[in-house]
Amino acid sequence: MNINDCYNFEDFRKLAKKKLPAPIFHYIDGGADDEVTLNRNTDAFNDCDLVPNILNSVGEPDLSTTVFGRKISMPLFLSPTAMQSLYDPEGDKASARAAEKFDTIYSMSTMASFSIEEVANISSGPKLFQLYIHKDKSITDDLIERCSRANFDGMCITVDTLVAGNRERDHRTGFTTPPKFTFDSLLSFAMRPGWVFKYFTNKKFELANIKNKTDKGTNIAKSVMDYINEQYDPAMNWKDAEYCIKKWNKPMALKGVMSVEDAKKAIDIGCTAIMISNHGGRQLDGSRSPFDQVKAISDAVGDKLEIILDGGVRRGTHVLKALAAGATACSFGKAFLFSLGAGGQKGVERLLENMQKEIRRNMVLMGCKSIKDLDASKIIYRN
Amino acid sequence: MNLKDCHNFSDFRKLAKKKLPSPIFHYIDGAADDEITYARNTSAFDDVDLVPNVLRGVEDVDLSTTIFGKKLDLPFYLSPTALQRLFHYDGERAVGKAAKKYNTMFGVSALATVSVEEISSLVDTPKMFQFYFHKDRGLNDSCLERAKAAKFDVMALTVDTITGGNRERDLRTGFTSPPKLTLSSLFSFATKPMWGINYLTKGKFELPHLQDFVKEGTSTNSSIGNYFSTMLDQSMNWKDAEQLCSKWGGHFALKGVMSVEDAKRAVDIGCTGIMVSNHGGRQLDGSRSPFDQLAEIVDAVGDKLDVICEGGIHRGTHMLKALSLGAKACSGGRLYLYALAAAGQAGVERALEKYKSELVRDMKLMGCTKISDLNRSNLRFRR
Repeated sequence: MNINDCYNFEDFRKLAKKKLPAPIFHYIDGGADDEVTLNRNTDAFNDCDLVPNILNSVGEPDLSTTVFGRKISMPLFLSPTAMQSLYDPEGDKASARAAEKFDTIYSMSTMASFSIEEVANISSGPKLFQLYIHKDKSITDDLIERCSRANFDGMCITVDTLVAGNRERDHRTGFTTPPKFTFDSLLSFAMRPGWVFKYFTNKKFELANIKNKTDKGTNIAKSVMDYINEQYDPAMNWKDAEYCIKKWNKPMALKGVMSVEDAKKAIDIGCTAIMISNHGGRQLDGSRSPFDQVKAISDAVGDKLEIILDGGVRRGTHVLKALAAGATACSFGKAFLFSLGAGGQKGVERLLENMQKEIRRNMVLMGCKSIKDLDASKIIYRN
Repeated sequence: MNLKDCHNFSDFRKLAKKKLPSPIFHYIDGAADDEITYARNTSAFDDVDLVPNVLRGVEDVDLSTTIFGKKLDLPFYLSPTALQRLFHYDGERAVGKAAKKYNTMFGVSALATVSVEEISSLVDTPKMFQFYFHKDRGLNDSCLERAKAAKFDVMALTVDTITGGNRERDLRTGFTSPPKLTLSSLFSFATKPMWGINYLTKGKFELPHLQDFVKEGTSTNSSIGNYFSTMLDQSMNWKDAEQLCSKWGGHFALKGVMSVEDAKRAVDIGCTGIMVSNHGGRQLDGSRSPFDQLAEIVDAVGDKLDVICEGGIHRGTHMLKALSLGAKACSGGRLYLYALAAAGQAGVERALEKYKSELVRDMKLMGCTKISDLNRSNLRFRR
């Protein structure tokens, strides 16, 4: 199996599983507790059916939309994800280049393995920065200022990681960053010499954006969960978010909003967007899926801010359903991380090409000329 | 396993799988994307229960129904499907003769492998011609004139194939028409020698309705999805359908209507029927199933044209449920294609006999003696 055999999410996932050491694969693949929310994120789309219109002379549909003040070529972009160089040595650079090629957003995590400046230097495509509010305010301020200078288009504050989720697969595999060779995981690493070779022959693993501010997560083996618990500010509140929005003064989203009430508050503090997300089912298991919740939120605030549906998206039809239910665009993390692990930049490009083709094909089959045509009349919920 | 062991849909499917090279089997058996719509087409029937009436005196059951002005002995007919001689060397000849024997209608596809003229000389019972709207207007006119001259009773314009569906099984097996022996499929062809011998000795494979106009699908290898995407006219609109309808001048249906709005427009342009269909789940995955959508459409237009429920039907009881909701008749492709592949005309006849005896039995158990006895009071929806 190689990257040219990958037609869908499951194919990329399989290939990534072959290529990545087990602890790293399961870090991407796993969710919190029993992974009920993880599964529901995708299953939710199947409780809703698309209803096409015929004989509409659609021709070539226009897939473009505008989010965070930037026009992007399709209503789907890459979610911010941490430590991408664990999956491919080029990490964030590979994702950013692939996203730029397809004229959609690349998002950088605070915990990226390349710095804000390094990625800004190699990509002029649309860029979003994901901000964790740290206990040490100077870290937060520094990140905002650097993003401003590097001309990032938008920013999102992650609000669903006040404490770390219970990712039991990581407990079992001993996933730490940088990876620690425990007896349990050694075999899995040893069986993937390609990964090990690339890991040790490329730039030293680091959390490039925060390496000078903290010694955590850089030179000692430290689990991500411990990092989250120690560095992120669990006392973060609406005032802190508002402070960041004012300081940033460009399009800003809260990532991880799930209730209508919080969506309304997001407007009040000056957000231009929200990302409806449960962190890919990796935080609070049993929480509601983004697709199950998007209609209620869109009905309440859809005319006042942009709504990004983040979580469970694997197919072009999922994007169409999300948009018909009121989302402005979708973003995905797992799908593109598997493609990155499976084939680096080429893998992400193939995934984005597949998704673009699917969205285009499905728009044509729906009889839609532009994504504005996707409204509530195009879907029916089964009950 | 042989034909006399086939008692239901799934038995015919199993036998077909044994007889056909795998790319050809999976072309019939597969559907779009994750095949969620394909599965729902059948499982939708399980969300509704039949409620029988007793003590009604049901010794004589009349299964006849009238659609498109023709009285059929059965309340279901055989949908037009492409490339039938790939499945059995007799192809459309076998299907047509079986349909004639049971006095029901059968459809001949524009992508048929036997000509309308030959079919017409073999079969004098009701016939439907399925029309694809090609970019080449000369081809369109030729199809229409030939079907008219061959005295076909109904013209059905397919409206859900504006672009090819994403049939991932075909991507993997390399299914093309005529079949191409690639390394990966060679083994499968080699292990089914009878299919190969028949294919090579029982007359040249051709697409008689197209061959004077296009090279696709005749001498060169082309996938069906590719054919839809490159040969059909994506700008097809209501005006085109209306013109075709009046040019034809007889019974005219749109195949692939799913929304109430489109069903109403079909009435306006002079259609005498519509097939509520998603192309057997082979085009837009995530789209609504015909049975889920049937009641709404019947309520809107059921008194103005014949509503046919097409897709997912495996059982007599499925037909009873659709007819109870108000469909004038049911139709299906896989319904008889596996049987065709399993044993040619004898296979299709056995399938028709099985469905007919199921219908008679189930009508009696329901306390009904004629199709018009079926109505919504026979049904309870589970939710």
